[in-house]
Amino acid sequence: MANNQMSEKERKLTATAEENVYAGVYHVLLVGMYISTALFALGIIRAMMHPEFYPLTASWVRDHYHWSLIFHGLVTFDPMTLMMTATLLLILTPVVRVIVSIHAFAVDHDYKFVVVTSIVLVVMILTCLLGLMGLH
Amino acid sequence: MTYTYHFILFLFGGACFAGFFGALLGIGGGVFIVPIMVLMFHLPMKVAVAASLVSVIATSNAGGSKYVDQRITNLKLAMFLEVFTTIGALSGTVLALYLHEGTMSLIFAALLGYMAYASYATRNFDDQRIAAGTFVNCKQDRLSHTLALHGSYHDIAANRNVDYVVTGSWIGGAIAYLAGIASGLLGVGGGVLKVSAMNRYMNVPMKVAVGTSKLMIGVTAAVGSILFFMAGLIHFVVVGPVAIGTTVGATIGTKVMNHLHSRSLKWLFTAMMLYLAYGMLAKGLQVQFHIHIPTLT
Repeated sequence: MANNQMSEKERKLTATAEENVYAGVYHVLLVGMYISTALFALGIIRAMMHPEFYPLTASWVRDHYHWSLIFHGLVTFDPMTLMMTATLLLILTPVVRVIVSIHAFAVDHDYKFVVVTSIVLVVMILTCLLGLMGLH
Repeated sequence: MTYTYHFILFLFGGACFAGFFGALLGIGGGVFIVPIMVLMFHLPMKVAVAASLVSVIATSNAGGSKYVDQRITNLKLAMFLEVFTTIGALSGTVLALYLHEGTMSLIFAALLGYMAYASYATRNFDDQRIAAGTFVNCKQDRLSHTLALHGSYHDIAANRNVDYVVTGSWIGGAIAYLAGIASGLLGVGGGVLKVSAMNRYMNVPMKVAVGTSKLMIGVTAAVGSILFFMAGLIHFVVVGPVAIGTTVGATIGTKVMNHLHSRSLKWLFTAMMLYLAYGMLAKGLQVQFHIHIPTLT
């Protein structure tokens, strides 16, 4: 038992330097998970209550990427919009996680990892730009 | 396509099944959910891959947060390898958008075949390495030394702190890049590749490798999902049941796993993967080359 407590103490000591990063990452993951799960669950229940026809074409899906349509869909609890928002939140969670990590590494003055993590963010931004340039 | 009450319920059930067995094997559900969607629900390959990728993020958030909370995950190692997996995911997704559905099915069949072999052949040498202390008496390479890639975690089973230093950064990076391609192209997490690379070549203890991989697959799958989203290939009514189902299945699977000897289930998993590999092969041949081989379904 004494051995166990000792190792617990050591574990905490070695972790303190990176505590900021760990805590930040943990909270981002949790919040992202809860909100998107709630929206997905609501969307599934709504979709089962009112089965509808959805074409499986990409252009039809892309036609729904408008702020006004998303807002209208959320207000009227449209199943597709609820699940689209949940998907977006889910995709954003890792992005936010990376940004939080960069900040936390900067606070810890660990600049090597500010650079490493920034590269990951740059790849994500590049991906968005590629998508916007019409890669489909 | 009309998403009826039955369709949604069955898809949810299928995703639960995939997540459950994925967790028992220590992998995400992607390897199972993509063939289930293609072979049983007759969804287009790209729609299945995109939906699976989003569900990978969901399982990464749920599973990854636990390992981060227990400080098993090595965050620095994760960030370092993510550079490679994200670039890989970008390449893989671009490839997926241009490849034919049949070709993708064939590549998926090859992956399943490899996994059937790997699931049968893998062993865990950690206990010996912990006892011998080789995790810490290992020469770091220059990059790993510069980035201070080392760590320590509390192993409950061995009841001690295990210190380790990371080595083989470049080969790890190369395999992470490949895992990224697999993720973006096939809608899987690519955890199998990353975990074995970290454990075998980078001197990372198994539990740390699993925890670190769980966190990494979220970022990797996010890159692929962004492109699929913009291409309009994510069908949200499909994604909903799949994402929730996989998470629920994985959560139950993780709890059950601790009470099971997964080794005794190895035969079952190998058979299951071979069965799905055959199905995807038949599908790919039929779509791509109009060759019909007898199917088992």
